Amino acid sequence: MANLLWLQGGACSGNTMSFLNAEEPSACDLVTDFGINVLWHPSLGMELGDNLQQMLRDCISGKIKLDIFVFEGTVVQAPDGTGEWNRFAGRPMKDWVRELSDVADFVVGLGDCATWGGIPATAPNPTDSVGLQFLKRDHGGFLGKGFTSKAGLPVINVPGCPCHPDWVTQILVGVATGHAGDLTLDEFQRPKTFFQSFTQTGCTRNMHFAYKVSATEFGQRKGCLFYDLGCRGPMTHSPCNRILWNRQSSKTRAGMPCMGCTEPEFPFFDLAPGTVFKTQTVMGVPKDLPEGVDKKGYVKLTGAAKAAAPEWAEQDIFVV
Amino acid sequence: MMEDGLQTQTEPFPEDHVAFEKILQEVRELDPADLKQKLVVTGFVNHPYGEDDQRCLECMYYLVHRKWCDLPELAVPVEPEWWCRLWRI
Repeated sequence: MANLLWLQGGACSGNTMSFLNAEEPSACDLVTDFGINVLWHPSLGMELGDNLQQMLRDCISGKIKLDIFVFEGTVVQAPDGTGEWNRFAGRPMKDWVRELSDVADFVVGLGDCATWGGIPATAPNPTDSVGLQFLKRDHGGFLGKGFTSKAGLPVINVPGCPCHPDWVTQILVGVATGHAGDLTLDEFQRPKTFFQSFTQTGCTRNMHFAYKVSATEFGQRKGCLFYDLGCRGPMTHSPCNRILWNRQSSKTRAGMPCMGCTEPEFPFFDLAPGTVFKTQTVMGVPKDLPEGVDKKGYVKLTGAAKAAAPEWAEQDIFVV
Repeated sequence: MMEDGLQTQTEPFPEDHVAFEKILQEVRELDPADLKQKLVVTGFVNHPYGEDDQRCLECMYYLVHRKWCDLPELAVPVEPEWWCRLWRI
């Protein structure tokens, strides 16, 4: 039996909604099949008021063993570092986060807000929001660069806006069933099992990417979304086209560009007008090229791919 | 029209998406059937252009087999050796 406590800071509840939609395993499976005892959760917890405060204090004192502390949302530090803008159970949420992180065996940051600040931390960041151990790409965040939980791991970051339901439950099951040692984390503390490959991996538009045929409008079934519509699939680490959403689709499959929401810089370019859903270019060449590709190689590849493109690449091949 | 010496606005080349969008907006405001003005505003020429000899053939909007510019605002037949300042790769 592993005790799990889930709290929410500066958040929209998107990751909670995602969690409740999990299928493999489901939120119920966590309890019935994998022995996870959900002490409290913002949407599922039964305790209120004094009872909740007592439970949190018991976790901190060690009276209740806290195996997994899950945090969703940013750590709000405003105003003036007090955290008073996000009070919970009688005190600033950030104080609970600090003390609960210190006693938990594992700390899991869910969603972009908890991992690197996400949308709330976008400039000018009025709530002085930070992620648990990062602020965008800067290592440190609220708990500090050197933080490790009692089990010796840093915060396990599961980013996304929101993160996929099954990324959440699979990581929680792994940790709760004693397989945390099998997790390898990347430089941003994301489990490599999910975040080593790219959003583009498994994208149904890869043929159009290869032959440099562009989609020019949302919802088009032919064409790649990278060239014109701002898709960040080739630069974004996520399994969105391997572990499908609702078990059947993904943004790019549905004709919408990937916005790179599993990367620390999300939302990119601080959401400046004209930067969303539009590929940023410098003198006609994409500002951000597919990871590992340089400009010279990209230009050469484009010429060769265009010249070799077969006729079908320019047609809608997904006929119903 | 270009063979007859049509003068088009090849400069300035849009350095970033803001400048690109500005040209696109100008095209959107034209009568869609006004081919001549479309060619003028977007700076079409019937030969490669610039130091790198840029041409439609490498442009992302160019459909090789249809010899067609697939940019919705333009949507015109083009030759692979042509160029315009909405060139993107």
